Amino acid sequence: MEDISLQSRIDVLTEQQVLIQDSAVAFIAQDEELKKTRESRFVQPGYDQQTWQEMAELGWLGFLIPEQYGGIGLGFDDLHPVLIQLGKGLLPAPFVATAVVAASVLVNCDNEAIKKDRLPALVSGAWKPALAWQETQGQMSVEAEQLRIVDGKLSGKKAFVPDAGGADDFIVSAGGDKGTELYLVNKGATGLTIDYEQRIDGGFYARLSFDQVDVGELLAGTDRAEQVLESALDEGRVAASVELLGVMTRSLEITVDYLNQRVQFDKPIGSFQAIQHKTVDLFILSEISRSVVLQTIALLDGDASAHDRAVGASQVKARCGDAALQITKSAIQLHGGIGYTDEANIGLYLKKAMYLASWLGNATAHRARYAELTL
Amino acid sequence: MTEETTNQYNAMDDDEFRAMVHTFYVENYPQELRFSPHRMHWDEIGDWYLTLSKQGWLTPAWPAEYGGMGLDANKLLIFMDVGESYGVGRTPDMGITMVGPLLIQHGSQQQKDHYLPKILAGEYIWCQGYSEPGAGSDLASLQTSAVRDGDHYVVNGHKTWTTLAMDANMIFMLVRTNKEGKKQEGITFLLVPLDTPGITVRPIINLGMHDEFAEVFFDDVKVPVANVVGGENKGWTIAKALLGHERIFIGSPKFAILAMSRLKSMAKSVGLFDDPIFVERYTRLQLDIEDLFATYKRFVEVLKRGGNIGPEVSMLKIWNTETQQRVTELMMEAASEHGGIQGGIETEEGLVRAAGEFIGSRPSTIYGGSNEVQRNILAKAVLRLPG
Ligand SMILES: Cc1cc2nc3c(=O)[nH]c(=O)nc-3n(C[C@H](O)[C@H](O)[C@H](O)COP(=O)(O)OP(=O)(O)OC[C@H]3O[C@@H](n4cnc5c(N)ncnc54)[C@H](O)[C@@H]3O)c2cc1C
Repeated sequence: MEDISLQSRIDVLTEQQVLIQDSAVAFIAQDEELKKTRESRFVQPGYDQQTWQEMAELGWLGFLIPEQYGGIGLGFDDLHPVLIQLGKGLLPAPFVATAVVAASVLVNCDNEAIKKDRLPALVSGAWKPALAWQETQGQMSVEAEQLRIVDGKLSGKKAFVPDAGGADDFIVSAGGDKGTELYLVNKGATGLTIDYEQRIDGGFYARLSFDQVDVGELLAGTDRAEQVLESALDEGRVAASVELLGVMTRSLEITVDYLNQRVQFDKPIGSFQAIQHKTVDLFILSEISRSVVLQTIALLDGDASAHDRAVGASQVKARCGDAALQITKSAIQLHGGIGYTDEANIGLYLKKAMYLASWLGNATAHRARYAELTL
Repeated sequence: MTEETTNQYNAMDDDEFRAMVHTFYVENYPQELRFSPHRMHWDEIGDWYLTLSKQGWLTPAWPAEYGGMGLDANKLLIFMDVGESYGVGRTPDMGITMVGPLLIQHGSQQQKDHYLPKILAGEYIWCQGYSEPGAGSDLASLQTSAVRDGDHYVVNGHKTWTTLAMDANMIFMLVRTNKEGKKQEGITFLLVPLDTPGITVRPIINLGMHDEFAEVFFDDVKVPVANVVGGENKGWTIAKALLGHERIFIGSPKFAILAMSRLKSMAKSVGLFDDPIFVERYTRLQLDIEDLFATYKRFVEVLKRGGNIGPEVSMLKIWNTETQQRVTELMMEAASEHGGIQGGIETEEGLVRAAGEFIGSRPSTIYGGSNEVQRNILAKAVLRLPG
């Protein structure tokens, strides 16, 4: 499929980025038909374990993890070509939730023994943590209110934990007398029950109920827990935005391709001006999104303050969430009847966009957060 | 329905009429079918079709002399509003909204006598066989052929996106009876029993993961010549008349009201009415619907006066379907993470599945003539722009 983005026209990639991009492009090309994506839908854990292992072998799981913990220690500038391709290929793997968000909490936490023990296992694909921080719908604050620690036991509920089915342990935020703390809790811990909820893209969210569960290992105390969480979530928001960029870019490519093929009134439908204008508007949206993505990953890789990162994360998630929905839903419209079938792959892009756009705060929530942080 | 009952309904005070309809729904419509997230199959909603039939309320817009309720525009809107707000599901209604009105206008006496009572009784359930893999917006390019052989036609071809074909026992379809000359002039309108040998129906799963439409294959299917409506090669004129009915149906505020009532339930349950920004967006949409009501009434009055509605009806379809989509978009935004989940939010009026509503509102801008095509029509036939 032809790359219609402006990347090759106006952006410059480093040699390393080109290498990474090439290997990611080759990786998703193995399943261009999205067979694996379809097979893993609505079946636990909602993604493909083998794909996960292959990603580990490519080293991707360790991109953001420092070398001392078995990773490669690269930045978002080198990760972003991978994330774009994950979005383009609708890769059935909880990359952002695990190798970005959960990894970031662990890397920045204070428990050195856990880091030395678990991070190499995360990098090798042998161990998967999932972060359980959220308690209510639309929550943006990282303060744990509902899940409480009393006498060394956790009680309460967490919601919207993505891809928990394949996870081994949960990173759990919990509120004590002095504030929020972070713990690593085994999935099999006594008193912990897990309910799964089907996501629209075929993956699962989990609801965790804790009834007097042993706290497990302390990862960060009240002095740092919220800060560690906030920064991990902001990295996740940026990473999800980059993945959304991949989703919107490929759905636009597929659509442009279709507009060239599909003939009605003895002409390719792409020759109608109404269609051309609409498609051009979608293209502009995708490039505006790409610009914000590039700006924000530079921000994350630099030494910006936590405040500025939060502003950047909200800016990019607001843009990419909206743009991806706009582009993928228009792609359905431009496909006509075939677009409204499960059979056609274009619908899978809409559903992925619906999930990623609403996870970790949707566009409305991020505009509100942006306003709060900047006004 | 008798002329007398019709007059009585139309003479009723609006609130009294509204209350009567509402009470009937509350007493008779199954709770568990309220606000169905998908278009229901006959095995789910068939009983309700028959209930309406017994009550004489199946065909609110048909004239009383043909067994309809014969409601005037105002009552028709109230009737619809109450149903959508209560979450009454759509029946397989193609006979009611399309075939019936068409036969009343263009059918022979024999056809009226045969088909209309069977639609009213729920004996004939219809589906619409227009679109083909190669003929969607460019419907006139359809290829399914009917070749005359004595008092029969032999039909061969492939229809697709046929809504609820698996529940129907009749299909009304467009076939090519002449390959020469202008495309539009070689098309015939046929009524075909789906149990005729040579017909195969293959369900298609839609984006909502529901088998709502189907492909229909025709392999040497014999259809009596008497099943033609409006004469051989006159099908395009008939189809256009019917599209008028379809568009006024899709243009009625039905879809938008239904979506709005779901949004309202959700908003109450999540506490969104405390958020002034949400209230502004909600009210904007509410007024989009109110103003559509006003416009729709103008159009329906034309029909009641016995007039014809022209290409301008396209504006109703555009406004209704795009309002419906904007409502479900707000619903999805307001649902936060639930915008990415199959399940729903608990409300007093049952589960509201924001993601499902959002997906379910996508195709109304595609079918019944896509909104792009409607805009082309308005530009050319109403504004008379060149080209
Ligand atoms: C849920 C659903 C139910 C349906 N039910 C039925 C049914 O019961 N019976 C039936 O016969 N059909 C049915 N249809 C089919 C429907 O009528 C067609 O999908 C519709 O006519 C569009 O045709 P198409 O799908 O071939 O798209 P295409 O015609 O290929 O259109 C693709 C895109 O190109 C645009 N386009 C095409 N031509 C132009 C132009 N000249 N200018 C600008 N834009 C243009 C369209 O607007 C659309 O966005 C249904 C469709 C759906 C989605």
